[in-house]
Amino acid sequence: MPEKISIMNPREKQVYTWFLVVVLVLFCLATYISRFNPLEVLWEQGEFWKFLFQDFLPPRFNASPVVVESILVTFALAVSSSFVAAVFAFLFAVFGSTSLSPWKGLARTIRGFATFLRNIPTLVWAFILFSSLGIGTGVGFIALLISTFAFMTRAFIEVIDEVSCDAMEGLTACGGTFWQKVCQGIVPTCLTQFIAWFLYCIELNIRASTIVGMVGGGGIGLVLFSYIKSFNYAGAAGIILVIAAMVIMVEFLTNYLRRKVLT
Amino acid sequence: MEQTFVQARVQCLEFSNGRIRVARSGQDSELRWFLAAVTVVSIVALYYLQLDWLKLISRLPDLGKTFGLLALLDFHDFGLTLEAFSQTVAITVLATIYSVLLGLVLAAFGARNLMKNKFVTYALSAFFTFLRAVPTPVWVLLALVCLGLGPAAGIVGLCVHATAFFARAFTQSFEDVPEEVIEALEATGASKLHIFLSAILPAAASQIMAWTGLRFEINFSESAILGMIGAGGIGFAIANNIQGYQFGAAGLAIVLVFGFAYCVELVFTTIKKNYI
Repeated sequence: MPEKISIMNPREKQVYTWFLVVVLVLFCLATYISRFNPLEVLWEQGEFWKFLFQDFLPPRFNASPVVVESILVTFALAVSSSFVAAVFAFLFAVFGSTSLSPWKGLARTIRGFATFLRNIPTLVWAFILFSSLGIGTGVGFIALLISTFAFMTRAFIEVIDEVSCDAMEGLTACGGTFWQKVCQGIVPTCLTQFIAWFLYCIELNIRASTIVGMVGGGGIGLVLFSYIKSFNYAGAAGIILVIAAMVIMVEFLTNYLRRKVLT
Repeated sequence: MEQTFVQARVQCLEFSNGRIRVARSGQDSELRWFLAAVTVVSIVALYYLQLDWLKLISRLPDLGKTFGLLALLDFHDFGLTLEAFSQTVAITVLATIYSVLLGLVLAAFGARNLMKNKFVTYALSAFFTFLRAVPTPVWVLLALVCLGLGPAAGIVGLCVHATAFFARAFTQSFEDVPEEVIEALEATGASKLHIFLSAILPAAASQIMAWTGLRFEINFSESAILGMIGAGGIGFAIANNIQGYQFGAAGLAIVLVFGFAYCVELVFTTIKKNYI
Protein backbone atom coordinates (compact mmCIF):
# COMPACT_ATOMS: atom_id res chain seq x y z
CA MET A 1 0.00 0.00 0.00
CA PRO A 2 1.53 3.32 -0.99
CA GLU A 3 2.02 5.54 2.02
CA LYS A 4 1.06 9.18 1.79
CA ILE A 5 3.52 11.93 2.54
CA SER A 6 1.89 14.73 4.45
CA ILE A 7 2.40 18.08 2.77
CA MET A 8 1.47 20.04 5.84
CA ASN A 9 3.72 20.54 8.81
CA PRO A 10 2.37 18.00 11.39
CA ARG A 11 2.41 20.56 14.18
CA GLU A 12 0.43 22.99 12.06
CA LYS A 13 -1.97 20.22 11.12
CA GLN A 14 -2.55 19.45 14.80
CA VAL A 15 -3.43 23.08 15.47
CA TYR A 16 -5.96 23.10 12.63
CA THR A 17 -7.47 19.80 13.77
CA TRP A 18 -7.95 21.07 17.31
CA PHE A 19 -9.35 24.31 15.98
CA LEU A 20 -11.94 22.47 13.91
CA VAL A 21 -12.90 20.18 16.82
CA VAL A 22 -13.38 23.17 19.16
CA VAL A 23 -15.44 24.98 16.52
CA LEU A 24 -17.62 21.90 15.96
CA VAL A 25 -18.29 21.43 19.69
CA LEU A 26 -19.09 25.13 20.11
CA PHE A 27 -21.38 24.97 17.09
CA CYS A 28 -23.39 22.06 18.53
CA LEU A 29 -23.63 23.67 21.97
CA ALA A 30 -24.67 27.03 20.57
CA THR A 31 -27.26 25.49 18.27
CA TYR A 32 -28.68 23.57 21.24
CA ILE A 33 -28.86 26.68 23.44
CA SER A 34 -30.32 29.06 20.88
CA ARG A 35 -32.40 26.44 18.97
CA PHE A 36 -31.44 28.29 15.80
CA ASN A 37 -32.34 26.52 12.60
CA PRO A 38 -30.87 28.13 9.49
CA LEU A 39 -33.45 26.34 7.32
CA GLU A 40 -36.18 28.19 9.15
CA VAL A 41 -34.71 31.47 7.95
CA LEU A 42 -34.65 30.13 4.41
CA TRP A 43 -38.27 28.98 4.63
CA GLU A 44 -39.41 32.29 5.94
CA GLN A 45 -37.54 34.32 3.36
CA GLY A 46 -40.79 35.07 1.52
CA GLU A 47 -41.75 37.30 4.42
CA PHE A 48 -38.40 39.04 4.09
CA TRP A 49 -38.71 39.81 0.39
CA LYS A 50 -42.25 41.05 0.92
CA PHE A 51 -41.03 43.36 3.67
CA LEU A 52 -38.10 44.53 1.57
CA PHE A 53 -40.10 45.45 -1.53
CA GLN A 54 -43.36 46.59 0.02
CA ASP A 55 -42.40 48.52 3.14
CA PHE A 56 -38.76 49.25 2.70
CA LEU A 57 -38.23 50.14 -0.93
CA PRO A 58 -38.25 52.64 -2.47
CA PRO A 59 -36.43 54.69 0.17
CA ARG A 60 -37.91 58.04 1.01
CA PHE A 61 -35.38 60.82 1.46
CA ASN A 62 -36.27 63.49 3.90
CA ALA A 63 -33.97 66.48 3.60
CA SER A 64 -35.46 68.34 6.50
CA PRO A 65 -33.12 70.52 8.60
CA VAL A 66 -33.46 68.01 11.44
CA VAL A 67 -31.91 65.22 9.39
CA VAL A 68 -29.09 67.40 8.07
CA GLU A 69 -28.35 68.67 11.55
CA SER A 70 -28.34 65.18 13.05
CA ILE A 71 -25.87 64.02 10.39
CA LEU A 72 -23.59 66.89 11.35
CA VAL A 73 -23.97 66.02 15.04
CA THR A 74 -23.01 62.38 14.38
CA PHE A 75 -20.01 63.45 12.36
CA ALA A 76 -18.93 66.03 14.97
CA LEU A 77 -19.30 63.45 17.75
CA ALA A 78 -17.07 60.97 15.95
CA VAL A 79 -14.33 63.45 15.05
CA SER A 80 -14.16 65.34 18.33
CA SER A 81 -14.27 62.23 20.53
CA SER A 82 -11.53 60.58 18.46
CA PHE A 83 -9.36 63.68 18.72
CA VAL A 84 -9.75 64.18 22.47
CA ALA A 85 -9.26 60.44 22.99
CA ALA A 86 -6.07 60.52 20.90
CA VAL A 87 -4.60 63.34 22.99
CA PHE A 88 -5.33 61.55 26.26
CA ALA A 89 -4.27 58.19 24.86
CA PHE A 90 -0.90 59.62 23.82
CA LEU A 91 -0.27 60.95 27.34
CA PHE A 92 -1.31 57.67 28.94
CA ALA A 93 0.57 55.54 26.42
CA VAL A 94 3.95 57.17 27.06
CA PHE A 95 3.50 56.41 30.75
CA GLY A 96 1.97 53.00 30.05
CA SER A 97 4.68 51.59 27.81
CA THR A 98 6.92 49.32 29.88
CA SER A 99 10.04 50.21 27.93
CA LEU A 100 9.55 53.94 28.44
CA SER A 101 7.56 54.61 31.58
CA PRO A 102 9.55 56.02 34.50
CA TRP A 103 7.46 54.01 36.95
CA LYS A 104 6.81 50.33 36.16
CA GLY A 105 3.91 50.14 38.59
CA LEU A 106 2.15 53.00 36.82
CA ALA A 107 2.64 51.26 33.47
CA ARG A 108 0.92 48.13 34.75
CA THR A 109 -1.93 50.16 36.27
CA ILE A 110 -2.53 52.03 33.02
CA ARG A 111 -2.58 48.81 31.00
CA GLY A 112 -5.02 47.21 33.39
CA PHE A 113 -7.24 50.28 33.39
CA ALA A 114 -7.28 50.41 29.59
CA THR A 115 -8.06 46.68 29.39
CA PHE A 116 -10.97 47.16 31.78
CA LEU A 117 -12.41 50.10 29.83
CA ARG A 118 -11.91 48.39 26.48
CA ASN A 119 -13.57 45.09 27.23
CA ILE A 120 -16.89 46.68 28.14
CA PRO A 121 -18.80 47.60 24.97
CA THR A 122 -19.40 51.28 24.16
CA LEU A 123 -23.15 50.92 24.49
CA VAL A 124 -22.84 49.54 28.03
CA TRP A 125 -20.82 52.61 28.95
CA ALA A 126 -23.50 54.73 27.35
CA PHE A 127 -26.17 53.09 29.50
CA ILE A 128 -24.16 53.46 32.71
CA LEU A 129 -23.55 57.13 31.90
CA PHE A 130 -27.15 57.79 30.88
CA SER A 131 -28.41 56.50 34.19
CA SER A 132 -26.24 58.89 36.17
CA LEU A 133 -25.62 61.87 33.89
CA GLY A 134 -28.91 61.94 31.99
CA ILE A 135 -29.60 61.54 28.27
CA GLY A 136 -27.92 63.85 25.79
CA THR A 137 -25.21 64.48 23.25
CA GLY A 138 -22.65 65.22 25.96
CA VAL A 139 -23.08 61.78 27.48
CA GLY A 140 -22.82 60.17 24.05
CA PHE A 141 -19.56 62.07 23.60
CA ILE A 142 -18.17 60.74 26.89
CA ALA A 143 -19.22 57.15 26.12
CA LEU A 144 -17.44 57.30 22.76
CA LEU A 145 -14.48 58.98 24.41
CA ILE A 146 -14.08 56.19 26.98
CA SER A 147 -13.97 53.29 24.52
CA THR A 148 -11.91 55.12 21.91
CA PHE A 149 -9.46 56.23 24.58
CA ALA A 150 -9.04 52.67 25.84
CA PHE A 151 -8.62 51.26 22.33
CA MET A 152 -6.08 53.89 21.32
CA THR A 153 -4.11 53.60 24.54
CA ARG A 154 -3.51 49.94 23.84
CA ALA A 155 -2.73 50.52 20.17
CA PHE A 156 -0.32 53.38 20.99
CA ILE A 157 1.46 51.34 23.67
CA GLU A 158 1.95 48.53 21.15
CA VAL A 159 3.29 50.97 18.57
CA ILE A 160 5.72 52.49 21.06
CA ASP A 161 6.97 49.09 22.22
CA GLU A 162 7.36 47.82 18.67
CA VAL A 163 8.82 50.73 16.78
CA SER A 164 11.13 52.58 19.06
CA CYS A 165 13.21 49.92 20.78
CA ASP A 166 16.56 50.91 19.24
CA ALA A 167 15.88 54.63 19.39
CA MET A 168 15.00 54.32 23.08
CA GLU A 169 18.18 52.40 23.80
CA GLY A 170 20.23 55.06 22.04
CA LEU A 171 18.59 57.90 23.91
CA THR A 172 18.91 56.10 27.23
CA ALA A 173 22.61 55.52 26.53
CA CYS A 174 23.03 59.27 25.88
CA GLY A 175 21.39 60.01 29.19
CA GLY A 176 18.20 61.47 27.72
CA THR A 177 15.49 62.40 30.19
CA PHE A 178 11.95 61.03 29.95
CA TRP A 179 10.52 64.03 28.08
CA GLN A 180 13.53 64.15 25.75
CA LYS A 181 12.90 60.52 24.92
CA VAL A 182 9.25 61.25 24.22
CA CYS A 183 9.84 64.33 22.07
CA GLN A 184 12.96 63.19 20.19
CA GLY A 185 12.41 59.43 20.14
CA ILE A 186 8.73 58.59 20.24
CA VAL A 187 7.11 61.43 18.33
CA PRO A 188 9.27 61.31 15.18
CA THR A 189 9.29 57.52 14.90
CA CYS A 190 5.71 56.71 15.88
CA LEU A 191 3.72 59.71 14.69
CA THR A 192 2.68 58.23 11.36
CA GLN A 193 1.43 55.02 12.99
CA PHE A 194 -0.42 57.03 15.63
CA ILE A 195 -2.13 58.90 12.82
CA ALA A 196 -2.99 55.63 11.08
CA TRP A 197 -4.74 54.40 14.25
CA PHE A 198 -6.42 57.76 14.68
CA LEU A 199 -7.91 57.60 11.19
CA TYR A 200 -9.07 54.05 11.84
CA CYS A 201 -10.77 55.21 15.05
CA ILE A 202 -12.63 57.95 13.19
CA GLU A 203 -14.03 55.27 10.85
CA LEU A 204 -15.06 53.13 13.82
CA ASN A 205 -16.57 56.07 15.66
CA ILE A 206 -18.75 57.19 12.76
CA ARG A 207 -20.50 53.83 13.08
CA ALA A 208 -20.37 53.75 16.89
CA SER A 209 -21.82 57.24 17.23
CA THR A 210 -24.79 56.15 15.13
CA ILE A 211 -25.39 53.29 17.57
CA VAL A 212 -24.90 55.41 20.69
CA GLY A 213 -27.34 57.84 19.13
CA MET A 214 -29.99 55.12 18.96
CA VAL A 215 -30.19 54.78 22.73
CA GLY A 216 -30.22 58.50 23.45
CA GLY A 217 -26.92 60.03 22.40
CA GLY A 218 -28.49 62.20 19.71
CA GLY A 219 -27.57 62.40 16.05
CA ILE A 220 -28.70 60.37 13.06
CA GLY A 221 -29.06 57.15 15.07
CA LEU A 222 -31.88 58.65 17.12
CA VAL A 223 -33.73 59.70 13.96
CA LEU A 224 -33.34 56.20 12.49
CA PHE A 225 -34.48 54.52 15.69
CA SER A 226 -37.58 56.69 15.93
CA TYR A 227 -38.44 55.95 12.26
CA ILE A 228 -38.16 52.19 12.79
CA LYS A 229 -40.14 52.32 16.04
CA SER A 230 -42.92 54.27 14.32
CA PHE A 231 -43.00 51.77 11.38
CA ASN A 232 -41.84 54.43 8.91
CA TYR A 233 -39.71 51.90 7.04
CA ALA A 234 -39.37 53.85 3.79
CA GLY A 235 -38.00 56.81 5.76
CA ALA A 236 -35.71 54.44 7.66
CA ALA A 237 -34.39 53.06 4.36
CA GLY A 238 -33.53 56.60 3.29
CA ILE A 239 -31.68 57.23 6.55
CA ILE A 240 -29.80 53.93 6.24
CA LEU A 241 -28.64 54.91 2.75
CA VAL A 242 -27.55 58.30 4.11
CA ILE A 243 -25.58 56.60 6.91
CA ALA A 244 -23.95 54.22 4.43
CA ALA A 245 -23.02 57.13 2.17
CA MET A 246 -21.55 59.01 5.13
CA VAL A 247 -19.46 56.02 6.26
CA ILE A 248 -18.21 55.31 2.74
CA MET A 249 -17.31 58.97 2.22
CA VAL A 250 -15.36 59.05 5.48
CA GLU A 251 -13.56 55.85 4.44
CA PHE A 252 -12.60 57.44 1.12
CA LEU A 253 -11.37 60.53 2.93
CA THR A 254 -9.30 58.60 5.46
CA ASN A 255 -7.84 56.41 2.69
CA TYR A 256 -6.89 59.55 0.78
CA LEU A 257 -5.29 61.08 3.87
CA ARG A 258 -3.44 57.85 4.56
CA ARG A 259 -1.92 57.88 1.08
CA LYS A 260 -1.16 61.58 1.26
CA VAL A 261 0.25 61.91 4.76
CA LEU A 262 1.67 58.52 5.66
CA THR A 263 3.75 57.65 2.62
CA MET B 1 38.39 73.09 -5.44
CA GLU B 2 38.46 71.73 -1.90
CA GLN B 3 37.91 75.19 -0.51
CA THR B 4 34.82 75.95 -2.59
CA PHE B 5 33.22 72.72 -1.51
CA VAL B 6 33.72 73.56 2.17
CA GLN B 7 32.40 77.06 1.55
CA ALA B 8 29.33 75.74 -0.12
CA ARG B 9 28.80 73.34 2.75
CA VAL B 10 29.11 76.15 5.31
CA GLN B 11 26.71 78.29 3.33
CA CYS B 12 24.29 75.43 3.26
CA LEU B 13 24.45 75.08 7.02
CA GLU B 14 23.97 78.81 7.45
CA PHE B 15 20.83 78.72 5.36
CA SER B 16 19.31 76.12 7.62
CA ASN B 17 20.31 77.95 10.83
CA GLY B 18 23.29 75.71 11.38
CA ARG B 19 21.11 72.63 11.64
CA ILE B 20 21.43 69.54 9.56
CA ARG B 21 18.08 68.44 8.24
CA VAL B 22 17.12 64.99 9.35
CA ALA B 23 13.66 64.58 7.91
CA ARG B 24 12.26 64.99 4.44
CA SER B 25 10.87 68.50 4.47
CA GLY B 26 8.05 67.69 2.03
CA GLN B 27 6.51 65.02 4.20
CA ASP B 28 7.09 67.08 7.32
CA SER B 29 5.04 69.97 6.04
CA GLU B 30 2.24 67.62 4.96
CA LEU B 31 2.17 66.07 8.41
CA ARG B 32 2.10 69.49 10.04
CA TRP B 33 -0.75 70.62 7.80
CA PHE B 34 -2.65 67.46 8.58
CA LEU B 35 -2.23 67.83 12.34
CA ALA B 36 -3.24 71.49 12.22
CA ALA B 37 -6.31 70.72 10.11
CA VAL B 38 -7.39 67.86 12.38
CA THR B 39 -7.04 70.05 15.44
CA VAL B 40 -9.08 72.86 13.90
CA VAL B 41 -11.82 70.52 12.64
CA SER B 42 -12.04 68.78 16.02
CA ILE B 43 -12.29 72.01 17.96
CA VAL B 44 -14.96 73.31 15.60
CA ALA B 45 -16.83 69.99 15.97
CA LEU B 46 -16.60 70.17 19.75
CA TYR B 47 -17.89 73.72 19.69
CA TYR B 48 -20.69 72.73 17.31
CA LEU B 49 -21.93 70.07 19.73
CA GLN B 50 -22.60 72.80 22.33
CA LEU B 51 -21.93 70.46 25.23
CA ASP B 52 -22.98 71.65 28.64
CA TRP B 53 -19.73 70.93 30.45
CA LEU B 54 -20.79 72.56 33.73
CA LYS B 55 -23.85 70.35 33.98
CA LEU B 56 -21.82 67.24 33.14
CA ILE B 57 -19.16 68.04 35.71
CA SER B 58 -21.69 68.91 38.38
CA ARG B 59 -23.21 65.46 37.93
CA LEU B 60 -19.93 63.59 38.20
CA PRO B 61 -20.56 62.64 41.85
CA ASP B 62 -23.68 60.81 40.65
CA LEU B 63 -21.47 58.75 38.36
CA GLY B 64 -19.39 57.68 41.35
CA LYS B 65 -22.56 56.71 43.16
CA THR B 66 -23.73 54.65 40.17
CA PHE B 67 -20.44 52.78 40.07
CA GLY B 68 -20.76 52.11 43.80
CA LEU B 69 -24.22 50.67 43.24
CA LEU B 70 -23.05 48.59 40.25
CA ALA B 71 -20.23 47.14 42.33
CA LEU B 72 -22.70 45.74 44.87
CA LEU B 73 -23.30 42.60 42.81
CA ASP B 74 -26.76 41.13 43.26
CA PHE B 75 -26.90 37.35 42.80
CA HIS B 76 -30.66 37.25 43.23
CA ASP B 77 -31.57 36.52 39.61
CA PHE B 78 -28.32 34.86 38.72
CA GLY B 79 -30.03 31.98 36.91
CA LEU B 80 -31.88 34.34 34.57
CA THR B 81 -28.78 36.42 33.93
CA LEU B 82 -26.76 33.32 33.17
CA GLU B 83 -29.39 32.13 30.73
CA ALA B 84 -29.36 35.47 28.93
CA PHE B 85 -25.58 35.36 28.90
CA SER B 86 -25.44 31.87 27.38
CA GLN B 87 -27.91 33.08 24.76
CA THR B 88 -25.54 35.93 23.87
CA VAL B 89 -22.53 33.60 23.62
CA ALA B 90 -24.53 31.19 21.46
CA ILE B 91 -25.52 34.03 19.12
CA THR B 92 -21.87 35.08 18.87
CA VAL B 93 -20.64 31.57 18.07
CA LEU B 94 -23.31 30.79 15.49
CA ALA B 95 -23.08 34.19 13.80
CA THR B 96 -19.30 33.81 13.52
CA ILE B 97 -19.45 30.27 12.12
CA TYR B 98 -22.19 30.94 9.57
CA SER B 99 -20.61 34.17 8.41
CA VAL B 100 -17.20 32.52 7.99
CA LEU B 101 -18.78 29.86 5.77
CA LEU B 102 -20.76 32.40 3.76
CA GLY B 103 -17.75 34.71 3.60
CA LEU B 104 -15.54 31.92 2.21
CA VAL B 105 -17.98 31.14 -0.58
CA LEU B 106 -18.58 34.78 -1.47
CA ALA B 107 -14.88 35.63 -1.30
CA ALA B 108 -14.19 32.87 -3.83
CA PHE B 109 -16.47 34.69 -6.26
CA GLY B 110 -14.98 38.05 -5.38
CA ALA B 111 -11.28 37.17 -5.70
CA ARG B 112 -9.84 38.47 -8.94
CA ASN B 113 -7.50 35.53 -9.45
CA LEU B 114 -10.38 33.02 -9.26
CA MET B 115 -13.18 34.96 -10.89
CA LYS B 116 -12.08 36.30 -14.23
CA ASN B 117 -15.31 38.19 -14.80
CA LYS B 118 -14.45 41.76 -13.79
CA PHE B 119 -18.06 42.87 -13.53
CA VAL B 120 -18.87 40.26 -10.88
CA THR B 121 -15.90 41.14 -8.68
CA TYR B 122 -16.65 44.87 -8.84
CA ALA B 123 -20.35 44.38 -8.15
CA LEU B 124 -19.62 42.11 -5.18
CA SER B 125 -17.06 44.46 -3.70
CA ALA B 126 -19.44 47.44 -3.99
CA PHE B 127 -22.23 45.42 -2.41
CA PHE B 128 -20.03 44.40 0.54
CA THR B 129 -18.85 47.97 1.03
CA PHE B 130 -22.48 48.98 1.40
CA LEU B 131 -23.27 46.15 3.83
CA ARG B 132 -20.25 47.02 5.97
CA ALA B 133 -21.01 50.71 5.98
CA VAL B 134 -24.31 50.21 7.81
CA PRO B 135 -23.82 49.51 11.54
CA THR B 136 -24.73 46.02 12.79
CA PRO B 137 -27.55 47.09 15.15
CA VAL B 138 -29.42 48.50 12.15
CA TRP B 139 -29.34 45.08 10.47
CA VAL B 140 -30.46 43.48 13.71
CA LEU B 141 -33.38 45.90 14.00
CA LEU B 142 -34.46 45.03 10.46
CA ALA B 143 -34.05 41.30 11.12
CA LEU B 144 -36.22 41.76 14.21
CA VAL B 145 -38.96 43.20 12.03
CA CYS B 146 -38.82 40.20 9.66
CA LEU B 147 -38.13 37.30 12.00
CA GLY B 148 -39.65 38.47 15.26
CA LEU B 149 -38.05 38.42 18.69
CA GLY B 150 -35.51 35.73 19.45
CA PRO B 151 -31.95 34.61 18.80
CA ALA B 152 -32.60 34.11 15.08
CA ALA B 153 -32.89 37.86 14.49
CA GLY B 154 -29.65 38.47 16.35
CA ILE B 155 -27.79 35.78 14.41
CA VAL B 156 -29.05 36.93 11.02
CA GLY B 157 -28.41 40.60 11.82
CA LEU B 158 -24.86 39.94 12.99
CA CYS B 159 -24.24 37.67 10.00
CA VAL B 160 -25.00 40.41 7.48
CA HIS B 161 -22.23 42.69 8.68
CA ALA B 162 -19.79 39.90 9.57
CA THR B 163 -20.22 38.15 6.21
CA ALA B 164 -19.40 41.36 4.39
CA PHE B 165 -16.38 41.81 6.65
CA PHE B 166 -15.13 38.25 6.04
CA ALA B 167 -15.81 38.41 2.32
CA ARG B 168 -13.57 41.44 2.02
CA ALA B 169 -10.85 40.09 4.29
CA PHE B 170 -10.82 36.65 2.65
CA THR B 171 -10.84 38.14 -0.84
CA GLN B 172 -7.66 39.94 0.13
CA SER B 173 -6.11 36.72 1.48
CA PHE B 174 -7.10 34.73 -1.62
CA GLU B 175 -5.67 37.35 -3.93
CA ASP B 176 -2.40 37.21 -2.02
CA VAL B 177 -1.94 33.58 -3.08
CA PRO B 178 0.78 33.64 -5.77
CA GLU B 179 -0.41 33.47 -9.37
CA GLU B 180 2.12 30.66 -10.09
CA VAL B 181 0.36 28.27 -7.73
CA ILE B 182 -2.93 28.66 -9.55
CA GLU B 183 -1.25 28.46 -12.93
CA ALA B 184 0.52 25.24 -11.98
CA LEU B 185 -2.77 23.64 -10.98
CA GLU B 186 -4.49 24.92 -14.11
CA ALA B 187 -1.74 23.31 -16.17
CA THR B 188 -2.51 19.94 -14.60
CA GLY B 189 -6.11 20.36 -15.67
CA ALA B 190 -7.57 20.92 -12.23
CA SER B 191 -11.08 22.34 -12.07
CA LYS B 192 -11.93 25.64 -10.40
CA LEU B 193 -13.22 23.81 -7.34
CA HIS B 194 -10.02 21.78 -7.08
CA ILE B 195 -7.90 24.89 -7.31
CA PHE B 196 -9.92 26.54 -4.57
CA LEU B 197 -9.92 23.54 -2.23
CA SER B 198 -6.34 22.36 -2.63
CA ALA B 199 -4.37 25.52 -3.34
CA ILE B 200 -6.14 28.65 -2.21
CA LEU B 201 -7.78 27.44 0.98
CA PRO B 202 -4.68 25.83 2.57
CA ALA B 203 -2.52 28.81 1.64
CA ALA B 204 -4.95 31.23 3.26
CA ALA B 205 -5.82 29.03 6.27
CA SER B 206 -3.71 30.81 8.88
CA GLN B 207 -5.03 34.19 7.79
CA ILE B 208 -8.58 32.88 7.87
CA MET B 209 -8.07 31.75 11.46
CA ALA B 210 -6.61 35.11 12.46
CA TRP B 211 -9.54 37.02 10.92
CA THR B 212 -12.01 34.66 12.57
CA GLY B 213 -10.49 35.27 15.98
CA LEU B 214 -10.56 39.02 15.47
CA ARG B 215 -14.17 38.98 14.33
CA PHE B 216 -15.21 36.71 17.20
CA GLU B 217 -14.20 39.40 19.68
CA ILE B 218 -16.08 42.08 17.74
CA ASN B 219 -19.12 39.83 17.34
CA PHE B 220 -19.26 39.23 21.06
CA SER B 221 -19.33 42.90 21.93
CA GLU B 222 -21.92 43.47 19.17
CA SER B 223 -24.12 40.65 20.38
CA ALA B 224 -23.78 41.87 23.98
CA ILE B 225 -25.34 45.19 22.98
CA LEU B 226 -28.10 43.74 20.80
CA GLY B 227 -30.43 43.46 23.76
CA MET B 228 -30.16 47.16 24.42
CA ILE B 229 -31.91 48.01 21.17
CA GLY B 230 -34.67 45.46 21.62
CA ALA B 231 -33.27 41.99 20.88
CA GLY B 232 -32.68 39.41 23.62
CA GLY B 233 -29.58 38.33 25.50
CA ILE B 234 -27.37 39.87 28.13
CA GLY B 235 -27.77 43.39 26.73
CA PHE B 236 -31.45 43.30 27.57
CA ALA B 237 -30.60 42.26 31.13
CA ILE B 238 -28.15 45.16 31.47
CA ALA B 239 -30.43 47.81 29.97
CA ASN B 240 -33.53 46.59 31.74
CA ASN B 241 -31.87 46.37 35.14
CA ILE B 242 -30.26 49.79 34.86
CA GLN B 243 -33.52 51.37 33.80
CA GLY B 244 -35.30 49.62 36.68
CA TYR B 245 -32.65 50.84 39.17
CA GLN B 246 -31.56 47.23 39.86
CA PHE B 247 -27.92 48.22 39.73
CA GLY B 248 -26.61 45.13 41.50
CA ALA B 249 -28.08 42.78 38.89
CA ALA B 250 -26.86 45.03 36.05
CA GLY B 251 -23.41 45.07 37.63
CA LEU B 252 -23.32 41.29 37.65
CA ALA B 253 -24.28 41.15 33.97
CA ILE B 254 -21.59 43.70 33.11
CA VAL B 255 -19.00 41.69 35.03
CA LEU B 256 -19.98 38.59 33.04
CA VAL B 257 -19.56 40.47 29.74
CA PHE B 258 -16.23 41.89 30.83
CA GLY B 259 -14.96 38.52 32.10
CA PHE B 260 -15.84 36.69 28.89
CA ALA B 261 -14.38 39.39 26.63
CA TYR B 262 -11.20 39.41 28.71
CA CYS B 263 -10.84 35.61 28.61
CA VAL B 264 -11.37 35.53 24.82
CA GLU B 265 -8.73 38.21 24.41
CA LEU B 266 -6.29 36.28 26.59
CA VAL B 267 -6.86 33.03 24.68
CA PHE B 268 -6.37 34.66 21.28
CA THR B 269 -3.27 36.57 22.38
CA THR B 270 -1.73 33.33 23.66
CA ILE B 271 -2.61 31.47 20.45
CA LYS B 272 -1.20 34.29 18.34
CA LYS B 273 2.01 34.39 20.35
CA ASN B 274 2.62 30.65 20.29
CA TYR B 275 1.34 29.40 16.96
CA ILE B 276 1.00 32.11 14.35
